[in-house]
Amino acid sequence: MTLNPIDYAVISQALVAGAREMGVKLIRSAYSTILREARDGSAGLMDRHGNTVAQAELIPMQLGPIGETLRACLRRYPVETLREGDFLINNDPFEGGQHIPDVFIFTPIFVDGQVVAFGASVAHHLDLGGGAPGLNIHASDVYQEGLRIPPSKYSFERDWNGGAFERLVTANVRVPDLTIGDFNAQFAANHIGAARVKQLCARYGAAVVMDVMREMQDYSERRVRAAIAQAPKGVYHGEDAVDDDGLSETPLVIKTKVTIADDGVEIDFEGTCAQVKRNLNCPYSSTLSAVLSCVKSVLTSPDIPYNEGMARPIKVKVPYGSLMNPRPPAPVRARMVPAFRAFNAVMKALAQALPDKVIACGFDTTTAFCLSRLNESGYSVYLEIFGGGYGGSKESDGVDAVDGPLSNCSNAPVESLDLDYDYFRVAGYTLEPDSFGMGAQRGGAGLRRRYEILKDDVSLAIYSDRFRLAPQGLFGGQPARTGACSVQHADGTSQSLRSKAAVELRRGDVVEMSVGGGGGYGHPDQRSDALIDRDLQDGILTRDPRTRRRLAAE
Amino acid sequence: MRVGVEVGGTFTDLVAVSDGRLVVTKVPSTPRSPDIGALDALRASGLDLKGIADLGHGSTVATNAVLERKGAKVAFVATEGFRDLLFLQRHDRRNIYDLAYQKPAPPLRRRDCFEAPERMLADGSASRSLDEAAVRTRLLPALKSGGYRAVAICLLNAYANPAHERRLAELIRAELPDLLVTCSHEVVREFREYERASTTVLSAYVQPVIDGYLDRFARTLASDGFAGRFTVMQSNGGRLPADAMRKSAITALYSGPAAGVVGAGRQVERSGFRNLVTFDMGGTSTDVCLVEDGRPSLAAETEIDGLPIRTPVLDIVSVGAGGGSIAWVDDGGMLRVGPQSAGADPGPACYGKGGRDATTTDAHVVIGTIRPGSFLGGRMMLDATAAHAVFQPIATRYGMSIEQAAASVLRLADANIVRAIQLVSTERGRDPRDYVLVPFGGAGPLHAARVAEDLGISTIVVPPNPGVISAYGLVASDYTKFDTVTRKMRLDEEAARDVIDRFAEMRVRLAAQFRDMGLSGDLAYTHTLEMRFVGQAFEVPVEIEAARVEALDAAYLADRFADAHHRVFMHGAGLDRPVEIVALRVGATLPIGALPTLQRERQPARPPEQARVFEGAAWIDCARYAAEAMAAGEAIAGPAVIEGYTATTYVPPGWSATIDEADNMVVRQINLPPEGEGGA
Repeated sequence: MTLNPIDYAVISQALVAGAREMGVKLIRSAYSTILREARDGSAGLMDRHGNTVAQAELIPMQLGPIGETLRACLRRYPVETLREGDFLINNDPFEGGQHIPDVFIFTPIFVDGQVVAFGASVAHHLDLGGGAPGLNIHASDVYQEGLRIPPSKYSFERDWNGGAFERLVTANVRVPDLTIGDFNAQFAANHIGAARVKQLCARYGAAVVMDVMREMQDYSERRVRAAIAQAPKGVYHGEDAVDDDGLSETPLVIKTKVTIADDGVEIDFEGTCAQVKRNLNCPYSSTLSAVLSCVKSVLTSPDIPYNEGMARPIKVKVPYGSLMNPRPPAPVRARMVPAFRAFNAVMKALAQALPDKVIACGFDTTTAFCLSRLNESGYSVYLEIFGGGYGGSKESDGVDAVDGPLSNCSNAPVESLDLDYDYFRVAGYTLEPDSFGMGAQRGGAGLRRRYEILKDDVSLAIYSDRFRLAPQGLFGGQPARTGACSVQHADGTSQSLRSKAAVELRRGDVVEMSVGGGGGYGHPDQRSDALIDRDLQDGILTRDPRTRRRLAAE
Repeated sequence: MRVGVEVGGTFTDLVAVSDGRLVVTKVPSTPRSPDIGALDALRASGLDLKGIADLGHGSTVATNAVLERKGAKVAFVATEGFRDLLFLQRHDRRNIYDLAYQKPAPPLRRRDCFEAPERMLADGSASRSLDEAAVRTRLLPALKSGGYRAVAICLLNAYANPAHERRLAELIRAELPDLLVTCSHEVVREFREYERASTTVLSAYVQPVIDGYLDRFARTLASDGFAGRFTVMQSNGGRLPADAMRKSAITALYSGPAAGVVGAGRQVERSGFRNLVTFDMGGTSTDVCLVEDGRPSLAAETEIDGLPIRTPVLDIVSVGAGGGSIAWVDDGGMLRVGPQSAGADPGPACYGKGGRDATTTDAHVVIGTIRPGSFLGGRMMLDATAAHAVFQPIATRYGMSIEQAAASVLRLADANIVRAIQLVSTERGRDPRDYVLVPFGGAGPLHAARVAEDLGISTIVVPPNPGVISAYGLVASDYTKFDTVTRKMRLDEEAARDVIDRFAEMRVRLAAQFRDMGLSGDLAYTHTLEMRFVGQAFEVPVEIEAARVEALDAAYLADRFADAHHRVFMHGAGLDRPVEIVALRVGATLPIGALPTLQRERQPARPPEQARVFEGAAWIDCARYAAEAMAAGEAIAGPAVIEGYTATTYVPPGWSATIDEADNMVVRQINLPPEGEGGA
């Protein structure tokens, strides 16, 4: 059967709209700050074979390998064996998942007794148990990171809403009200996706809708292949490194070899360091996601729908047992950090082939900042994600103070934190002047947050990166500044924290967290006087780089 | 006589109504000083300004001031430690794969942002009082030397206690009396500091522009003898006296689309239709809105150029599908329509002004629904050959005839509109089949039937003069003001009692504001609570029935909330979770009383002409009528094209049109066998 091109255009846009609606409703009906304010969740529609068709554009990291996550479930529970009311669930880093907090839920969508598609949603859950509230930076294996849910099938009717599985989850998490609420938001998002797909099937027929799903993937594949065909063929190398594993001082080096050929792109991580003892290991799905996001962002225009077809021309090889494809039971909680360095390494390789389409390294780090306290009524957990500045590009300065390219978490309004938490207060939130690398186009500025601790017995846990190794500039651009976290204790002492740290706080302590900017693009001498003057007047740049240049010339 | 003057991007429309007499005038807009176009329209209409009792005005002055960054030089003052609020924004990106992403640009620079030492808390207590000495020695000199026209103040938690904002404003006014000072608590009394700060800054930014514009306009009107009431439309669907609007500039944004919704709603209500999906299709975009029981839906927030504005506005969704929308093939081979538009210049290819892109208007010319000789009542001759020529590339690419290519483009434009309507209906938990479709704007009635078919809507109501409905809305709308207060409380009996008292206070406050504006009469109130489950961040608006406002209890509010939550999110009913109230909103409306009548011009009856349109996959015969010559009650079966002075309506096979006693054209789906389709 041939698909009418106009039917195709109409139905494909409707599927994209359905996925978008799922994402909006996931966030808007969520309970935890990490999902509702930071929007650390994603949603999409998948075909019956487990391939991604359409996604709500929320968090690139979660969206990339969602097909892998579902297919891990389908290998165990083939699609023909599913019944109406079943759902599939998976957060296993070693079987298609990413890290423990990201729980993926898939709801089969039935039309006339047949599965035509899946509604998919993922949320970063605030706490799923494990060795510490919200974030256990000391975990030496995955068991200490929280409840591991292998690819599983449950019945919504039987196992949720007071059923055994819901009670199991409730019994193993510290803030069950928020966590179960967020699970419900995920089920609701999937339910909405199902309703929209069923409406389309009723109008156009299930066979046509399924054809459209297949063609959407072919369409994205065609567009990516067209972009690859235009890129210069060759073999390119790039590497970057994580500061350290939190225990030693040794950088964790990530190497990539990118081969652009006529029929596709291959990325090989041969030479990358071995897996480590702490949570900086990156499961295969996360590595794949980082690579796909980088290749898509560089090679194709932003309007190409991200789905399984896009991934077909891209091959990723990662040595087993390396940082980017660890063996179980490695801890993986901070996998965003190595994933960002993989993103940077691939970008540096692509920079040699496509210098006009890449950007310099940004701060490109997920800084997870977690305060928690055990109150009389139970745990209170605050978790927020900070990004930093983007790297400069050929045409423009990097954007200031946003979440990194693999993520897209929002900040929580300070006034909402004031309403929700009584053991800390945000006392400052500003851009960080001079934190970027200069260049023809400068990097974006980082940001600084200041917290006053209002009660005793507050725990702080962070993981971040680039406290020691700064983001590099590109094509002569300068590196950006590193990040830092320090505590001024009420007793007058102070301490500087490592980028992966946990510390106990008391009333009167003040925590300063700063994340850096992005690297510059092109030589700083090429920056226009007008832009330098603008930045000086805005106070985002405090020293005139021309002074030194003039001195050097004399 | 009542007169509405609506300044649009291309045309300035005027509608004057008195005692059944109707004057409709269209003149070119004068974007540099829109008041000139408005005065041109008044002159061109030949009306005597002395006879105008009520002049309603809508313009894009505020919107353009922001879009073109032509507002006042404004400074921003925040709590110490938070001067970068407007640049930090929400730390997110709208396009996640765009490496060169740029944030929406606020209308000032970082150098214009200052701090005041103080810190208010969420419970309204101050953890640090305002340091007045520091304000005097540091802030005031900086404001003085900066050459500012306006200053916006947004201090943390000022929604809970505005004392510091008030005192700071006093200090500034005392020292700098010429500076216009806007405090966040006066503009939005709700939490979330970035959204409140953005709204406050935009308000301060446009206010001097609006103020100057309205002042100049009012003076010119007065010198020409106008002595009636001069009012201005707001984005919330009501209007305000021009004097009051000069202090409430932010509500003037997007007033044009709001006027259209109100005008269309008021006109079709005459025929008894109160549950509507309005659909305003102009040259570049289509605006849709849901109207329930005669009242347009509200949204709590909107944005302009990516910058948030927290103020109740009509919940209007806009898509880039208009008469000038351009059809194109993307590099993956998919046919797409819009959002690029050929605009008015060069316009669609058929305008003969050099347009080379295929637009939806060209598509109508190709398939016969627009006749080259009768566009805009025959005021503009169209070039049919050019319209055909621009579809050749699409036809060749997909192996179609030119007519099929044109029909495909229209289908895609319709699909874009359908999705916009689903956004305001299905996504808000409403079934579009429970509503009638009300198309207006120049292109709406041409597309309405197809859009209705896609949505399962069986009744369409086309108001008379659908091309000038926005201008009519200006004189058909009531006076409206909203008051919203953030007050977070767990839902229980005490909270329910508290709500009763708070609502009463808010009504008193609104009534005083109406008196201050010189408006007297019985106000009608609406009461809404923004509620959520404890732990959620986004509230669901819960409307309180008028009869229950004085008799609220926790059980009633919990039920209303569960219903509202379930409608939108498909879960929540029966959940045994605590619920909280986050904000209270009261709307006050002073009805304008008897509505001015909008009607068709009448012409003697004449028989329809025979014509042909391309329908489905082939040409079919159809009848062509003049809307002005139709008799009330006469039923016209589709396929038919009904040409009017400001817009053309297409009635496809299977539909039938009748003009009712209120002069609305009611188009209904009838269960005719689909013969004729695919014939000829």
